[in-house]
Amino acid sequence: MEIAYPVGLVVFAAAIIIGFTALVREKDDLHRILLTDLAEILALVLIALVATDLAEALILPGLVVGISELMAVSEVYIAKEGLRAPQEPPFRIEVMDSAPGILALILVAYGIVLSGFTGGVIAAVGAVFYFMCRGHIEQFELIETVSGYAWAFWIGAFFIFMFLPGYWFFAVMIAGGAILIKVMAKMSLVGTMRGGGPDV
Amino acid sequence: MTPEFVLGCIILIVGVIAAGFPRPMTYLGRLISLEIPAFGLLLIMLAYDEMLALLTFIGVTAISTFVLVRAIERKEAAP
Repeated sequence: MEIAYPVGLVVFAAAIIIGFTALVREKDDLHRILLTDLAEILALVLIALVATDLAEALILPGLVVGISELMAVSEVYIAKEGLRAPQEPPFRIEVMDSAPGILALILVAYGIVLSGFTGGVIAAVGAVFYFMCRGHIEQFELIETVSGYAWAFWIGAFFIFMFLPGYWFFAVMIAGGAILIKVMAKMSLVGTMRGGGPDV
Repeated sequence: MTPEFVLGCIILIVGVIAAGFPRPMTYLGRLISLEIPAFGLLLIMLAYDEMLALLTFIGVTAISTFVLVRAIERKEAAP
C-alpha cells in the first residue's frame, strides 16, 4: 500500500497537466465549463488517494461544492448568452415516458435504505428523473418548509450527541433521516429546471 | 497496488486525454468523454473501499450531467 500513493500522485500530476493544457487551449466558454467538471474529478482523485475515512469525509463537501459551482456557472452562462429554452423538446425518448415511475421508486427506496447524505443524493436522482420526465405541479413552499424542519432535526441530533451521548444511536437515526430528507428536497428542485410546470 | 487501482489510474489518464482533446470537437462528445475519467475515479475509490464517496459521486454525476445537458441543449437550439 506504500507504493500506491506515490504512483497515484504521479498519475494525478500527469492528468492535471493534460487537463489544464486542454483548459488553457480552449476558447469556447461552454467547452471550458465542461472542462471545469473534468478538473473537479481530478481534484476528487487527489482526495481519494488519502485512502482513509478522512477522504470520504472530504469528498462529500467536495462534491457539494462542485455541483453547486457547476449549476451557478451554467446559469450565469445561459443568462450571459441570452439562451432560451427550445420551444419544443428537441428529442423524444420512449424510455422517458415508460420508465420514470418504476425507476424513481427503486432509486428512492434504495436511497432511504442507505440514509444520510448518500441516500439523499441517490433518492434525489430518482426524484429528478421523475420530475424531468413527467413535469411537476408541486408547491415549492412545502418542499422548502420540509427541508427547513429536516435541517432543524439534524442540528437537534447533534445536541443529543453533545449532551446525552448515551442516546447516540437515536441521534444517528435522527441525523441520518433528517439529512436524507434535506438533501433530497433540495436536489429534487434541480429536476424542475427544465420547465414543464408553473414557472420556477 | 490492487488491480482496481492500476486499472483506475490507466482509465483516468486515458479519460483525461479523451475529454481534453475529443476528436469531433462537439459539446455532447466531450460530455460523454467526461464519463471515462469519472469511471477511473470510481475504480480508485473502489480500491480504497470508499463506499459512501463512490455512491454519492454516482448520484452527483447524474445530476451534474443533467445540469450540463440543459446548458448544451439551449446552446444547440440557439441560432
